[in-house]
Amino acid sequence: MDIFSNMALGLSTALSLTNLFYCFLGVTLGMLVGVIPGIGVLAAISMLFPITFYLEPTTALIMLAGIWYGTGYGGRTASILLNIPGSPSNAVTCLDGYPMARQGRGGVALFMTTIASFAGGCFGILLLMLFAPAIARYALNFGSTEYFALMLLGLVAASTISDGSIVKGLSMVVLGIMFGCVGADLYSGVPRFSMGLLELTDEISLVALAMGIFGISEVIASVRRIDVASLHATDVSMRAMMPTREDTRRSVMPVVRGASIGAFFGTLPGTGPSVASFMAYAFEKRVARAPERFGKGAIEGIMAPESADNAAEQTSFIPTLALGIPGSATMALMLGALMVHGIVPGPQLMTAQPALFWGLIMSFWIGNVLLVILNVPLIGIWVRLLTIPYHLLYPAVLAFICIGTYSVAGSPFDVWLVGFFGLLGFVMRIFGWPAAPMLLGFVLGPLMEEHFRRAMLLGRGDVMVFFESPLSASIMGLTLLFLLWGVMTALRSRRAAGDAAAEG
Amino acid sequence: MVGGMILLIVGSWYAWYAASHYDLGTFRRMGAGMFPTGLGIALAALGLIQVVAAFFRRGRTPSIRGWTPLFVTLGVIAFAVSVRPLGLMPAIVLVVTISSLAELKIRPRSLLLLCLVLCLLAWLIFRVTLNLPIALWHWPF
Repeated sequence: MDIFSNMALGLSTALSLTNLFYCFLGVTLGMLVGVIPGIGVLAAISMLFPITFYLEPTTALIMLAGIWYGTGYGGRTASILLNIPGSPSNAVTCLDGYPMARQGRGGVALFMTTIASFAGGCFGILLLMLFAPAIARYALNFGSTEYFALMLLGLVAASTISDGSIVKGLSMVVLGIMFGCVGADLYSGVPRFSMGLLELTDEISLVALAMGIFGISEVIASVRRIDVASLHATDVSMRAMMPTREDTRRSVMPVVRGASIGAFFGTLPGTGPSVASFMAYAFEKRVARAPERFGKGAIEGIMAPESADNAAEQTSFIPTLALGIPGSATMALMLGALMVHGIVPGPQLMTAQPALFWGLIMSFWIGNVLLVILNVPLIGIWVRLLTIPYHLLYPAVLAFICIGTYSVAGSPFDVWLVGFFGLLGFVMRIFGWPAAPMLLGFVLGPLMEEHFRRAMLLGRGDVMVFFESPLSASIMGLTLLFLLWGVMTALRSRRAAGDAAAEG
Repeated sequence: MVGGMILLIVGSWYAWYAASHYDLGTFRRMGAGMFPTGLGIALAALGLIQVVAAFFRRGRTPSIRGWTPLFVTLGVIAFAVSVRPLGLMPAIVLVVTISSLAELKIRPRSLLLLCLVLCLLAWLIFRVTLNLPIALWHWPF
């Protein structure tokens, strides 16, 4: 009964004209960003971040979230038609999507993946509605030790599970926290690491950091790499999109399995749509009766990842909204948008701001329906977008990054910072240091320091305070497990590589 | 290898800077320097692991293209320098023109068009819709 009154509240919030408009704007932009390779979702969200300063927090979040799950729909277009993933989470869709397009079944692939995305998204929202309030209620009596332990778990998980080596991931987390330390000290007000620059006595702007690391460095990496590939002439009329009965029959179970896998990986900190879609593909290949069909245009191979991708996008809101702990860099930006408006993320969010929470969730339903409309009858427009040459696109992206950063505080210094972080992002790419853990560390760092110091005060300077409450102790144990697991896999893969080198 | 070295150096410097400039305090009542010092040490340790690990592994040299980041970053910096004294529109023209050079060829017609469109867009979004107090033109002379 309670949930229904909440849903009604949310629906009335989400259906207001402003929110409806920004929801539409968000998902459309998300589609756009998803369709065009070379602009990632993080770059897009950080580019629009400045605009959210001028919006109501609910509206701002609805728009940012719309971009986030909108890319899940848009990304597969480029994967299927060009064999270039529009966003990383759609990379695996290339494997079977592109062969389908070459067989002249691109229309079917586009249509069916829209359905898969929608089904996965719906499943994710349902789970979010059911579990987030329960988790938040439970989390209300968390203390500083639990919070610190949880954040540590999130950061360690983010650096162990994400691709690449665990040491590199961890070092980037630490580097991110270090950047988070810049600015006035919480307790004493001493400006730290300001290097004598007045602008640095305030903290480093999240917008500048995100735009530099994700926006600029992505542009640098893509210039002269992405050419307009020859587009396969694909019939996207309604008739060409109709799947055969065989296609439909084969798709049901992969969608269900994909959605479950995606929902699981979405809630885990550190994993997200990308991991989820790869897992779903691998799982589908394993259970398939004829695995050799995969990679040659098997419809199961596009349905499962796409449904997993969208389910994960929705369930990643569970830890973010229920605990105030972002599981991914994108979620960290969402929390940043909340904090800009003076709303403290955490378990009390749901009771303190019910209109925001439920309005956001109900807007997910609306957004997903909008996306289906955008995708099925209007797919032709998006396909045409793929032909915009990159040499026109990237200077425009850069200009928007600059204007956006400048408009936040009217400070040219922030634009300098963007340049600095852009170069840093480029260096990080060279060394294979992952960027997402760094942003996560940057956002969580100050919170972690606060909770750590408070816990130490309460525990009278004894580190064992983190192992006293059973809950915090078990979270710490889990963190340790993740670390061990990460080290083990790293060692094993090194040994395997060593063996291969010795044999070859 | 080089990456690990950099991390090692940055971490040590950070820890040293924090420890020498800010109050460490005690574990019971931590000062401003305690947490950053710990971070610096952690980063240095992680860097050390990477250096050591790199000894046992044949590294591959990644291909680095110098021109692209140079022009892109220069464009951004040009914006930062020019937006206050000259105004938004000249700054946009500068960032677009300089960063276009990263392509290593010049397309005058599309460049001009792009600048015009972007200035128009910037005016529409930031002045008309959001009503931000940003000077579009500013003639210092």
